[in-house]
Amino acid sequence: MSATATKPPQSQLSTALARDRLGVAAVVFFVMSAAAPLTVVAGVVPTGLAVTELTSISIAFVAVAVVLAIFAVGYVAMARHIANAGAFYAYISQGIGRPLGVGASWVALLAYNMFQIAAYGGFGAIASPLFDKWFGLDIQWWILALVVWALTAVLGVRDVAVNGKVLATLLVAEIIVVFAFSIADLFSPNFQASSAPVDVSSLVGPGAGALLAMAITGFVGFEQSVVFSEESRDPRRTVPRATYIAIALIAVLYGFAAWSMISAAGPDVVGRAGQEGPDLFFNVASDQLGGRAVDLGYALFLTSLIAAMISFHNIIARYMFSLGREGVLPRAFGRTVPGTGAPKNGSLIQSALGLTVIVVYAVAGWDPLVNLFFWGGSGGGIGVLLLITLTSIAVIGYFVRHPEGEDFWHRLGAPVLGTVLLLIMSYLALSNIATLFGVDPGSKPTWVVPLAFAVLLVAGVIWALILRGSRPQVYAGIGLGARSATSTGGFSAALASTEPKDHQ
Amino acid sequence: MTASAQLPLADDLFLTAHDSVKGKCLLSPATLGLGMAAALIGELVLWRRLDIVDGKIQIIDDRPTGDPAANAVLDQLLREGHHRAVRDWISFLATGVATDLVERRLARAALVQRQEKRGLFGSNKVSFVPSDSMIAGWPATRIRTFVGRGEYLDIPDLVLTGLILATGLDQHVFLTLDVRDRTALFEQLRRRLPAMLLELVGQAEAAVGDAVMARRA
Repeated sequence: MSATATKPPQSQLSTALARDRLGVAAVVFFVMSAAAPLTVVAGVVPTGLAVTELTSISIAFVAVAVVLAIFAVGYVAMARHIANAGAFYAYISQGIGRPLGVGASWVALLAYNMFQIAAYGGFGAIASPLFDKWFGLDIQWWILALVVWALTAVLGVRDVAVNGKVLATLLVAEIIVVFAFSIADLFSPNFQASSAPVDVSSLVGPGAGALLAMAITGFVGFEQSVVFSEESRDPRRTVPRATYIAIALIAVLYGFAAWSMISAAGPDVVGRAGQEGPDLFFNVASDQLGGRAVDLGYALFLTSLIAAMISFHNIIARYMFSLGREGVLPRAFGRTVPGTGAPKNGSLIQSALGLTVIVVYAVAGWDPLVNLFFWGGSGGGIGVLLLITLTSIAVIGYFVRHPEGEDFWHRLGAPVLGTVLLLIMSYLALSNIATLFGVDPGSKPTWVVPLAFAVLLVAGVIWALILRGSRPQVYAGIGLGARSATSTGGFSAALASTEPKDHQ
Repeated sequence: MTASAQLPLADDLFLTAHDSVKGKCLLSPATLGLGMAAALIGELVLWRRLDIVDGKIQIIDDRPTGDPAANAVLDQLLREGHHRAVRDWISFLATGVATDLVERRLARAALVQRQEKRGLFGSNKVSFVPSDSMIAGWPATRIRTFVGRGEYLDIPDLVLTGLILATGLDQHVFLTLDVRDRTALFEQLRRRLPAMLLELVGQAEAAVGDAVMARRA
């Protein structure tokens, strides 16, 4: 080997492993595809206007973006130090403790499922009148919801590989449509620059929590950026940059779109939102753009929802796979279809849950737009907000014990500031839940959602404590993820199956 | 070479990864690659050319082996002495290097043949499939037979068993094992698989899980 001693040859291994390293744009793309711009701008915002009667949504997007950006400082810093970044419970397991981590992982499952199932309802509610308008077909919302549910279920279980490219194309088209429609609003005869959407005082007024909870739904998915910590070109720069860019892009796009829509909707925007629902976004721009553009916008809206569903479905299925491999969920979830690598069981369970909820809503006759799409989405948003808050505390906890390699701002400055802001936001969101859902204070939905999160959190903590006593090697691996050598696939399960407790 | 002879570890895994009726690969290319990579590294351990300690590869003997595929991997390991993490080597060899080496070795032995399939958009897809449907099923049948008779598997077959489990192939090939045989097989794995190879299979399994999470599987 002396021949190579003078100058080391180009390492084939380094080159091969570096080939698919991701840049900033790729990470931003991935994050935004879960965020689904049209779903938020045309779906969540008008429905939220109608339900909460609050119009200061643009400033809420900006405020949430600022808080999340501060939170992200410590979040991406910690991602460089831990395995399985991208899952809140991994942070919480290592920053606060494994029991709370398991609790958080179960809360996250519920929150993500709420988003997923909300999208089924949203699709049905929005597509049903469109099918009538376009094809003269009178189809019940739940039939259409079941059609996209079936599509998602089939694609999910087969883990179709073209997903990524399709999502990226749709995403670009969506952003263009949102932007074009918002610009068109500016030239509408009704346009009158409204100050209500950007009224800073609303952030401390009654209903502030509802606004913030609504806004945060638009950002869900940003936390996935750190999944690529180890696959990015430059872990210290790519992921942080991509995260901040994604947060800023979301805030600017959504904030601007909401502002121009409200400004162009005339004086009674809340009333119009109530009557027109998601059509509001398209109606206010229609006189400038004409029917063709509006139809195109609607079509993209539907594909946007489908894209969001498929994207979220895969996130949920992989999340369950990871938990199954760790032993936090039954091991069966840690299995895949050998031929495709699809995390089959997580996908199937998600689909089963979705089917159940659609059927229950259809039979009970509940409103798919408000009671499923909006409640589910904003309820899931509250869940994610609580998880982010816990994660922020975990970041502090982690860096107090492992201060190496990060400066004060990344370790403590930003995380402490972020935690304080997030605690305030969480408090506001939970105390405004009646406003958010548009129901009477104390009525059923206002306590069912927080209670569900609380029950899962406590159940997860108890399960972790059981694991600590009965299966210490599983307990030790909590939060390390499917890529960890301590995780449990078929092989490790085989080793553990006959194993008395003499391994550790 | 008669059909009943035991092949090198990676060859056995390659055949096991193919449907014994249609010859179709049962694994995704990425997962097959990870299996092939781990199996070739495993062969070098069995050749006593390297050790695996704490996730790192240590070369204990740099003499060539009698086998071109294993040699190619050993050469590369020697050339790139600064990379030692077994996980990195599995990832690298899984990018197509390992599958390629194994396919060529099997093709030379006339156990697989090249198959060209017209793709959806006119592009031709080349794959190697077992030349005889009997061959593909042979390694798994051997394992099942040994376990059924209550006999000990040799070390290469134990590693093969481990990699079958790690890649998820057990959902195809161990489906017919009853509870007793399954328990006996797992018991053998646990008691008789040497620590180094156990670590190798564990790393392969983690790499498969990683690929699933990153949507590369």
